[in-house]
Amino acid sequence: MNVLNAIDRRTAMAVGGLAVAGLLAPAAIAALGRRRASVFIAKNQRYDGDLVATIRDGLQATGIDAKQIAGKRVLLKPNMVEPTRQIPHMTTHPAVIVAAAEVFRAWGASVVVGEGPGHVRDTEVALIESGVGEALRDGGLDFSDLNYERTAFRRNRGRFSKLRGLHLPESVVGADLVVSLPKMKTHHWVGATLSMKNLYGVIPGIKYGWPKNVLHHNGIPNTVADINATLPRLVGIVDGIECMEGDGPILGSPKPMGLVAVGTSLPALDATLSRVMGLEPARMQYLAYAARGIGPIADEQIDQHGEDWQTLVDPFEVLEEPHLERLRALGGEQVT
Amino acid sequence: MVAPPTDAPRANGNTRVIASTQDISAQLAHSLEPVVGRLTHSPLGGYSDAGEPAAEPIAWATIALARFASATASRGASKRAADAAAAGADWLAEHQQRDGSVGVTQSQQRPAWTTAPAVLAWLAVDPTAYAERIVRALWWAVSQKPWTAPKTRTFGHDTSLEGWSWAADTHSWLEPTAYFVRALHDAGWADHPRAVEGVRLLVDRLLPSGGANYGNTIVLGQELLQHVQSSGVVAWALHGTSGETALSPTIRYLQEALAEPTGLASLGWAALGLASNGAADERLAERVIAAADRAAAAEGVYKPALYAAACQALLAALPATNGDNP
Repeated sequence: MNVLNAIDRRTAMAVGGLAVAGLLAPAAIAALGRRRASVFIAKNQRYDGDLVATIRDGLQATGIDAKQIAGKRVLLKPNMVEPTRQIPHMTTHPAVIVAAAEVFRAWGASVVVGEGPGHVRDTEVALIESGVGEALRDGGLDFSDLNYERTAFRRNRGRFSKLRGLHLPESVVGADLVVSLPKMKTHHWVGATLSMKNLYGVIPGIKYGWPKNVLHHNGIPNTVADINATLPRLVGIVDGIECMEGDGPILGSPKPMGLVAVGTSLPALDATLSRVMGLEPARMQYLAYAARGIGPIADEQIDQHGEDWQTLVDPFEVLEEPHLERLRALGGEQVT
Repeated sequence: MVAPPTDAPRANGNTRVIASTQDISAQLAHSLEPVVGRLTHSPLGGYSDAGEPAAEPIAWATIALARFASATASRGASKRAADAAAAGADWLAEHQQRDGSVGVTQSQQRPAWTTAPAVLAWLAVDPTAYAERIVRALWWAVSQKPWTAPKTRTFGHDTSLEGWSWAADTHSWLEPTAYFVRALHDAGWADHPRAVEGVRLLVDRLLPSGGANYGNTIVLGQELLQHVQSSGVVAWALHGTSGETALSPTIRYLQEALAEPTGLASLGWAALGLASNGAADERLAERVIAAADRAAAAEGVYKPALYAAACQALLAALPATNGDNP
């Protein structure tokens, strides 16, 4: 625990939350003290493949101590912002959700899936259109509608926006671990939506609206960073198998990548996947904010497990808008 | 926390055989009865069984109960429903703030877009008894100033129009604007400039191909997706206003969209939107009747109340076949 004492305040409140909760293995805690983080990427993944093994390997490779998960309350937060049967690559695939649940349940956790769809008031529609409702029912998993739960107010620990605090659903504040389960997509305002941006969905519509316009008015990058700084124990598992490029996060085109990525530092995870997408993380404002203490985004601070990201780079198309074109990486990984 | 919902049955998957309009009305009344019974017993609820009492669910329960009380031939059932409706209206009155607004839940005074459904509930129960509260609520409503901006190429809709937002100091969106437009119209304030601009905003937010979503139309050159609930809400809100002539593509969208499974709240709003515009048909009634078991199993008050309101709207819209059309 001496190592924990040396961690700066913001890092401690972000990745350090996992360490304080006893969810990280000793090696991962030591890396945290050196302001490093681990990211795991697996390639050639399929929705009908052994995703349980992939996710389990990824969690352990990035420092989760399986023995400490027993008895913990785990909230899985997929991306179901505006599901429709016509665009399945918009939402986290049910197979990834169920596989993640299986991993945590096998380790003795109680698992709930929760989401507060950003654009859909009728959450039942989101469950039907995405196929997630059927998968959860088959898998014996409960669902929490984060848009309508009772809320608790938590001080904004990021202060990247002017918001004094955040109203959070009881399932979120009561969880020992919140697992962000995003789809790997471009985003027509901020570049990419991955594990950090996906956490917009823990913000309750009953307080913030549909869309969660209070967040937009306080700055999307700012509030993405605030949410991530305020939630203490986060893990990311990214569905990068069938992705979205172009006009994401809703109307983009399919982009098959075959990837599953895992990280205990969401900024490190998202920065790595941004590089895979051909985007420069430091130019994405919410990642730039995150680098100020929530987690590392510099490649040299990230320990890669599984596949090297450099071998996976396949630039995603972005809209021809100046605010997006400036996000393209300029280094050797840039193709377009 | 609840088990995820079962899929809604497809329209052609309904095994009930509807023989006649009279049969449909009887089955709608039969579907309505247990839901009203449940609301009569517990009108003060929320969005789920575990959730705190909330203004929107209570408002819709109050509206459905008041309608049932005035329509049913059973004196005992009418009295019980009227008492429950009064309890709902009184709960909303107790939670009205000094400024006239009604917050979203028992513990949350803000946001207060729920002021609009509260007005509709008071109008349904007793416009005279609640007149002072209605006026205060509407003055609060027309004093709200949403964020606006000059129109740009980024968004297809007119960002300069003032409607109503979900939360203070943010942009106007479709549903809260629809609720306030309906409340202002039903309260006799249809000529207020904010009501007039609200109608303009709702028409402006209709998608070019019909229907609506949460309130964006075209973003960065792409037309966005249609939603059943939002389309039903806007059709219901624009009925009887100068904007109803713009609804034809939206009505067509709703009728086609109901061929696919949807959520119970969305189905309820589709029925309200179609029925209020004279576009209800037997196929829609079959869908609503087929959802009776889902309404009975739904948690909280919100979905059962919307379902009851949908049944009542269909009973009123379809040709009357008997003397007791609740």
